[in-house]
Amino acid sequence: MGVRGGFPPDGFRCRTGSKMSSFTKAAQQWASFSRMWYLIDAKMQPPGKIAAMCSVRLQGKHKPIYHALSDCGDHVVVVNTRHIAFSGNKWEQKVYSSHSGYPGGFKQVTAAQLHQKDPIAIVKLAIYGMLPRNLSRRTMMQRLHLFPDEIIPDEILKNLVEELPQPRQVPRRLNEYTREEINAFPRLWTPPDDYRMK
Amino acid sequence: MSAGPAPSAPGGVRARGRAEAGLLRRRWGESTLLPRSLMVFLSLSRWIRSRGPDRYWRHQEVLQHARHFRGRKNRCYSLAVRAVRRAFFYSTKAKKLKKRNMRMLWISRIAAGSREHGLKYPALISNLIKCQVELNRKVLADLAIYEPKTFKSLAALAKRRREEGFSNALGDGSEPTGIFSRIVHSD
Repeated sequence: MGVRGGFPPDGFRCRTGSKMSSFTKAAQQWASFSRMWYLIDAKMQPPGKIAAMCSVRLQGKHKPIYHALSDCGDHVVVVNTRHIAFSGNKWEQKVYSSHSGYPGGFKQVTAAQLHQKDPIAIVKLAIYGMLPRNLSRRTMMQRLHLFPDEIIPDEILKNLVEELPQPRQVPRRLNEYTREEINAFPRLWTPPDDYRMK
Repeated sequence: MSAGPAPSAPGGVRARGRAEAGLLRRRWGESTLLPRSLMVFLSLSRWIRSRGPDRYWRHQEVLQHARHFRGRKNRCYSLAVRAVRRAFFYSTKAKKLKKRNMRMLWISRIAAGSREHGLKYPALISNLIKCQVELNRKVLADLAIYEPKTFKSLAALAKRRREEGFSNALGDGSEPTGIFSRIVHSD
């Protein structure tokens, strides 16, 4: 301890009044430091992109009053984590490793196996890795609420303020197109009469 | 003390008695205790030497900077001296770090504010520079917090300039060049 090389968080100055003498007592918004509750639907979304959005809001980096010490993070509720969609072959190729601490305790599990065992774990680990490695990480993880399906407890449902748009635009399956839309789609080429379709 | 002998001024001192003459001829640093038979003036105050009258205040100068420390280094001089020296080193090093940290904080705040308006930070800054709006990051961060409407209009300006830049780059000639992308010469 001694002379701190840092500076007092600006967030604390907002409450006490204007920070610069040129601003005449900026209007005090008493709700500026209140915590918001956001909802994200992870159905058919890449877990990395979901995790990026969540980590930004858990830290409070989406607010212009952000400071690491002002504890300005919000709550995030992620729903349908069972239905996340990895791109490529990551379900088979991505490996989650852990060590129990005992000799011979090194375990490696593919993403598919981990998801089977615990539908929340992939999103949780992704968000945990994206948060800053400091003591606030655990408090931020406590403000994260993950649910494998659409079932949310009532207390959390009542707190939700806003639903965030999904990062990935989910493409429609062929059976979700109507007959008219399929017929109206421009044809690139017409097969000849003796062409055999497999 | 008009009649005090001054060992450092051998010339102009009145030597009263053989004892004081002996005192004067002694070199600096030798013991000034004389045998009782030779002493003429026997005042005790002459024997008690003050090694330095202001140690207390010299220590206080250091301890005042250590009063908010933890443990014995806020009370005990030898421990406090080391702690205060380190504290001063850290303080001077931190003067450079403070500038870096403040700039990083401003940038993250401006980025948050501009994302609220649909623009990313590099796009905002580059397009404001291209519009000859020379606001620095400190001012932009303060506007983002305290003057949200002003910041919104700045973001709109940057967005418009960005679109004009795209159309100038991609459109190639047939459309008229934009309003904000016209080069303004200050003469």
